[in-house]
Amino acid sequence: MRRVEHVMGFPVSVRIDDEDFPEAPVDGLFAWLREVDARFSPFRPDSEVSRLDRGEVRDPSPALREVLDLCEEYRIATGGAFDARLPGRGLDPCAVVKGWSVQKGAELLSAAGARRFCLNAGGDVIASGGPWRVGVRHPEHADRLCTVLDLTDRAVATSARYERGDHILDARTGRPATGLISMTVVAPTLTEADTVATAAFALGAQGVAWAAAREHCEVFAVDADRRVLRSPGFPVAGAGFAAA
Amino acid sequence: MKRAIPVLVLSVAGLIPLWRYAPSQDTGSSSATEAAAPASTPSVSSSGGTTTTVVSGSTIDTEKGPVQVEVTFDGDKIASVRMLRQPNHPQTTAAVPKLIEETLQAQSADIDTVSGATITSDGYKESLQAAIDARG
Repeated sequence: MRRVEHVMGFPVSVRIDDEDFPEAPVDGLFAWLREVDARFSPFRPDSEVSRLDRGEVRDPSPALREVLDLCEEYRIATGGAFDARLPGRGLDPCAVVKGWSVQKGAELLSAAGARRFCLNAGGDVIASGGPWRVGVRHPEHADRLCTVLDLTDRAVATSARYERGDHILDARTGRPATGLISMTVVAPTLTEADTVATAAFALGAQGVAWAAAREHCEVFAVDADRRVLRSPGFPVAGAGFAAA
Repeated sequence: MKRAIPVLVLSVAGLIPLWRYAPSQDTGSSSATEAAAPASTPSVSSSGGTTTTVVSGSTIDTEKGPVQVEVTFDGDKIASVRMLRQPNHPQTTAAVPKLIEETLQAQSADIDTVSGATITSDGYKESLQAAIDARG
């Protein structure tokens, strides 16, 4: 089964290879993502995030607390380079919300019995079962890949500037992060992969070693000199993959 | 005091990674696992116009064990934070693996899906992923 819907401003593609998998859990996945958008978008004045930021929410919901805790964890882990509260800007937990919410969505599918599926949320991928062959988009050529990985029961996320420009800021300076061209992280969950990729991108050149040192994280980075740096455990697809 | 509750929540969360990543401060004299204090009702005392409030956070289970902090507020500001409980576990610091350096290649391959920087719904039409979805 395949389905593509647009939620939170990006496409979400689902492919489930289990035979006769019902539609209802997939409906549930998209309903959850729409709910997350309504509750946690800083671009919606009536969202819980916006209301919290205006001081109108005294006690954040458990889900929002989880998101804010993650934001704080990564702010400290990056020495402040990653921060959901930039000076002069409103609270923006988007960098955490995306991976976190899609991971929860994937868990809805697993709970409904899906065993072999692949979820792609605007370029962030959860591979359940496998192996799935996941290409990493080349940072300079939209129709080419810079590597291919074999992924089983793990997630991969990429942060870069080629789609939406300088949207990742180094909160230590308030300036766009420019030390890396592309940062790809493989981790056990998309919550981890997506946040680590964004945080490492915000850190710049030093983010590569920072991410590689994190437990269970494998990295593939393209630095400003177009040099590839990858961790030995990055699951590059094996034989049969020829450079074109 | 209106903002104290969310501030406390963030503080507790913030201390977990601090403890995880900071070098161990355990000198051996301080037992790592102190007696668990129950989540307390705030004790309030006033002196010279500012109000001091002491709040014990709830115990949070981390992968290394339970963590609980006590926060002292001076008015709305955090004056001090004390660990009530922390796991009795040596600090683990992951080493940076030796990174492999390669040249950037542009390749084509038969794949199931594509990872890339967050693509917008507008950009999707032209993307590799759209082609894969359309192929079915």
